[in-house]
Amino acid sequence: MEKFKKVISQYPFLGFIIAYLVLLCVPTIFFTDLYQSHLSSLIFVNIIVAAGLNIVKGYCGQVTVGHVGLYAVGSYTAGCMFMYLGSDLWLTLPAAIIVTGLFGIAFGIPSFRLEGPYLALATLGGGEAIRLFIENGEFFGSTYGISSISQPVIFGVPFDTPDKYYYISMPVMLIAVYFSYSILKSSIGRAFMSVREDPISAAASGIDIKKYKILAFILSAMFAGAAGAVYAHLPPGYIHPNNYTVIEMVTFLAMVVFGGLGHIWGGIIGAIIITIVYDLTRPLYEYQLFIFGLTIVLTILFMPKGIGGFIDKIFIDKRFKKKKVEEGK
Amino acid sequence: MKKLKIIFSTLVFTAGLALSSIAQANDIKIGVSFRMLSDVGYKHGELITDTVEMWNKEGGINGRKIDLILYNDECKSEKGVANATKLAYQDKVHVIIGSSCSSVTLPMVPVITKAKVPQIIPHSTSSKITMQGSEYIFRVPVSSRFYKLVQGKFTAEQQGKKIAYIYVPDQASMVFAKEMIQFMKDEYGVEPTYAVQAGEKETDFRSYLMKAKATNPDVIVLSGLVDETVRMLVQSYEVGIPKSVHRVANSVASKVEVPTNAGKAAVGVVYSAAFAASDTRPIAKKFVKKIKSTYGVTPGHDFSQMQDLLDMLKPALTKASAKFSGDLAADRNAVRDAIAGITNFTGLASGPISFCANGSPECRDGNKTPVMIKYSRGGKNWKTAVAGTVTFNPSDGL
Repeated sequence: MEKFKKVISQYPFLGFIIAYLVLLCVPTIFFTDLYQSHLSSLIFVNIIVAAGLNIVKGYCGQVTVGHVGLYAVGSYTAGCMFMYLGSDLWLTLPAAIIVTGLFGIAFGIPSFRLEGPYLALATLGGGEAIRLFIENGEFFGSTYGISSISQPVIFGVPFDTPDKYYYISMPVMLIAVYFSYSILKSSIGRAFMSVREDPISAAASGIDIKKYKILAFILSAMFAGAAGAVYAHLPPGYIHPNNYTVIEMVTFLAMVVFGGLGHIWGGIIGAIIITIVYDLTRPLYEYQLFIFGLTIVLTILFMPKGIGGFIDKIFIDKRFKKKKVEEGK
Repeated sequence: MKKLKIIFSTLVFTAGLALSSIAQANDIKIGVSFRMLSDVGYKHGELITDTVEMWNKEGGINGRKIDLILYNDECKSEKGVANATKLAYQDKVHVIIGSSCSSVTLPMVPVITKAKVPQIIPHSTSSKITMQGSEYIFRVPVSSRFYKLVQGKFTAEQQGKKIAYIYVPDQASMVFAKEMIQFMKDEYGVEPTYAVQAGEKETDFRSYLMKAKATNPDVIVLSGLVDETVRMLVQSYEVGIPKSVHRVANSVASKVEVPTNAGKAAVGVVYSAAFAASDTRPIAKKFVKKIKSTYGVTPGHDFSQMQDLLDMLKPALTKASAKFSGDLAADRNAVRDAIAGITNFTGLASGPISFCANGSPECRDGNKTPVMIKYSRGGKNWKTAVAGTVTFNPSDGL
């Protein structure tokens, strides 16, 4: 086991291949109906957004409340490319990533001069402006939304049902998480953390603050773009401006906070738990928002570093105890 | 001993599960997805719950218990799609009721069509829904294609052709205004004197109203959701648009909040809907009384459509469940065929509701009779008068 852990920590890519193989088998072994596949795809989309949000918020410490706008840009890039050019996911996905990355620049520029709540307000305005622009623009289908966005076809097999689309959304999610992991484990990730902890010290150490701030916004925007495109093609392939409101933004933030801000797996854990909890409380619609709010308040009170931080603490305590026993011996 | 205990409890648990699944297999499952956000939204949910409870108390349908599964879609398509998928594949319902918002019902259609679950719409009016041609969709309310015709004709022939339009970016509001503009152009060659789309959740419409007033219209069309309609009506008097300019609203004006909150500004407002609380038929009077005493509100057409839907569904389920084979796909088809077989259902709606076998809009837009209603009094004790009803041919407005 120790040897296996060592190999994985040396070659993390192997870990992702194992995760891919495991997730490949999950539907056959565990899923009993199509809804579970649909829910899994939603979880994967949320994981991609949360992983991106964790880069800018958790690692670089930049407060953004407009990420949902970037997610909308990704969805609508895919939707419009389908509507006007007939493009499928293989074209819309990279296009959405590029276009959203460009929007990330626009979202990142205010961070040069603004911080904390002021930056939050600026990004919130940006996100809402995007949604309202879409809602009022006939080119984007306005309040009719864009419907019947096609699903990808591989070797003549259409991935047009939730169970089939699982095999599209799952690898995209794994690739996104792998990128997020690689970025955050690299010198870029360390630079992000230094910007978050103390920008003045970071600048004094030769880190270009502006460059890393804008990079964090661009990278996280690209994740949102990828998620948006995957969501747009999710069967039945319908997008509407109502799905990109502040409430969705708060939900994304809740995922990152709940999972653990700045924790490498935080966004992923949060996305999985929040999406499942939301689904389980669906029949309790009258109390759903209350349960949701209470969960977040209790998490912040008793687990300020989120679930990720809590799990870390357990492992650290375990290691500490083990070392103490060894020292005692 | 411990092992025996484990084996025994496992057996009991398995037997329990098997028994409950047998019991559930006999049930008729109805899934619901609609907006249950506002006070009135919750009351629609209560109306369904109470009605189904009553059916169960009466012994169910053909001796089968009705299992009701209620989900809120918050008027968001993402949630509507998730609800439809869950109801179809996980909850394995026989029929779905929903949704309130056209933007939610629209993407639900491909989901339920693929899953082959019949869905019956209580409130969504967008003509695009039934134009998808699904064999599994049925609409109880009047389609927007009929509303535009009746409203357009009535306005042009009785009120005037110089029309200003103010609408909000909500799908139903926009569709109503845009379809009416198009109809006036096509039918009478009339361009609007002024047409503007207000911003989302805007509360001050006075600048738009002033501009509309400057064009000296005969009619002003105010198409919004409840709050916006109330504000636009009140503010139209604040900016000095005289009483002589006719106010027209979309079917949202049938909601109780509009005359209650708009007060005197609601007087004279004309709108088309599927039901008027001032309806003098005994069935309508009884219904208004029941809703007032049970839920404390005067019902608008959303309530009446929900009631009609339930009243139609019960005999359809009775007919279908008599043929239930236990095979879910076949049972769902039996429900679909039973609903498709409904003809000339006379309930609270302004006209008879009929469906037919194929999935065309002619067959699936059940109510073809919108009623023109005018508020004769506003405030808490609001009153309406029926200005006229028109029954259209199934293919009109397509």
